[in-house]
Amino acid sequence: MAEPPATPRFEDALAELEGLVQRLEKGELPLEESLAAFERGIALVRSLGQRLAEVEQRVEVLLKSEAGKLVLRPFENDEE
Amino acid sequence: MLRAEPAPRVLTVTQLAALVRETLEGGVGRVWVAGEISNLRPAPSGHVYFTLKDEQSQLGAVLFRSVAQVLAFRPADGMEVLVSARVGLYPPRGALQLYVDTMEPRGLGALQLAFEQLKARLGAEGLFAAGRKRPLPRFPRAVGIVTALGGAVIHDMRTVLRRRWPACRIVVRPVRVQGAGAGREVAAGIEDLNRLGGLDVLIVGRGGGSLEDLWAFNEEVAARAIAASALPVVSAVGHEVDFTIADFVADARAPTPTAAAALVVPDREEVTAGLVRAEAALRRALARRVVAARERVAGLERALGDPARRVRDLGQRIDDLAARVRRGLLRRLAWERREVMTLATRLARSGPAPGLPRARERMAAAGERLRFALAVRVRHARGTVEQAAGRLDALSPLACLERGYAIVRRGDSTGPVVRDADTLAAGDPVALVFARGRARARVEGTEPEKEP
Repeated sequence: MAEPPATPRFEDALAELEGLVQRLEKGELPLEESLAAFERGIALVRSLGQRLAEVEQRVEVLLKSEAGKLVLRPFENDEE
Repeated sequence: MLRAEPAPRVLTVTQLAALVRETLEGGVGRVWVAGEISNLRPAPSGHVYFTLKDEQSQLGAVLFRSVAQVLAFRPADGMEVLVSARVGLYPPRGALQLYVDTMEPRGLGALQLAFEQLKARLGAEGLFAAGRKRPLPRFPRAVGIVTALGGAVIHDMRTVLRRRWPACRIVVRPVRVQGAGAGREVAAGIEDLNRLGGLDVLIVGRGGGSLEDLWAFNEEVAARAIAASALPVVSAVGHEVDFTIADFVADARAPTPTAAAALVVPDREEVTAGLVRAEAALRRALARRVVAARERVAGLERALGDPARRVRDLGQRIDDLAARVRRGLLRRLAWERREVMTLATRLARSGPAPGLPRARERMAAAGERLRFALAVRVRHARGTVEQAAGRLDALSPLACLERGYAIVRRGDSTGPVVRDADTLAAGDPVALVFARGRARARVEGTEPEKEP
């Protein structure tokens, strides 16, 4: 049932972004690398921002079938 | 003396024992009795034997397995208890025995005692150790929830999760959270969600309630399931004040289910603000980096210096050196000239020399050239003087007078020159100055200049 992560995990991407900001702020990177770091950082900001904007809440209920197998079904007991 | 007495009724031991038991059960029956447990002996069969005593007396007692199993707490030596028991005789040993139906601790309630006992036991096992607590994931992609499906709890948690971190999958494992067997269900729910996979964190809990209502979360089976969970577990039993055993074992404890929901996911607004800050920091840092690079280039440029100026400086030094060389040369030349002259003088004094006739010739020739040059110069000077005299002549008033003009002066010949007839009146004396000689005269009358 585990879904392989197609995109890097949010926290990994965020950690990468934080690392880029730190390295760039130290000002120790060669100029070319600074520019590359900046571009990568902005791309990460965009993609993370996009993921934050995804408004999708999936709720499922885990039940046990007669045979003792685990079964997922969508949660429908919803007032909305 | 003998008296005929009816033969005494002889009983077997078994008959007597049965008689005593009947009498006891009929006469004493079921009683509530308070006492202290001592000499507690759990048997492999599951029955528990002990002695119930007070200051003066003691009685044997047995707790059959079926009863012992349903007790929430564990009887122990020294414990003051209240038991409901049937008083009977155990014929094989002829011993009076209390057959215990229920047992309650005195002082603390049974549940409270059970709680304290389990807490002490699991604590001793190290299940509450801070070192066992796992960190919660910062950004869970999926949250598993073990709770009752009905009621406001699940709805409130969903609302909080959606508001804070909507891109998060929720899997609910519905369980009964109170009543007999609830602890077992909670444990099974935790195990199932672990088996399901794909989840990052679990919330186990229920809304508020009394100690009895929350009991499932004080059961050992639930506590052990939490401890055994591969996923971090947040306990969320709606009881602000008291802790449950689940709270102690869980990796994090939230006072309510909604608080647990807020604990497991970050706030989208905060993360968004963090991203905005990160972007600004990136831009600032890059701008600073570029400025720093530019300054470095400028600094290096300065350090290298202006090549043209260096050339100029070098040129000046060369000039200085050249001047010094020249001065040195001139001094040397002058010195040598003096030396030559001295030598020449000494030579002249020391009498005729082979070069003398030629020198005399050269001197004669020079004298000739000097005379000629002087003559030319004198002639030229004379011409210049004559030319100048002529020009001076042309400018002199005397030259005008020579041409027949006269100068009129007021009064005598030293008076001011008259340039305007209006300055004169009839009878004024005037002097006339000619090229040669003067005349005195008197004005007859004046005529102002006619307007043209």
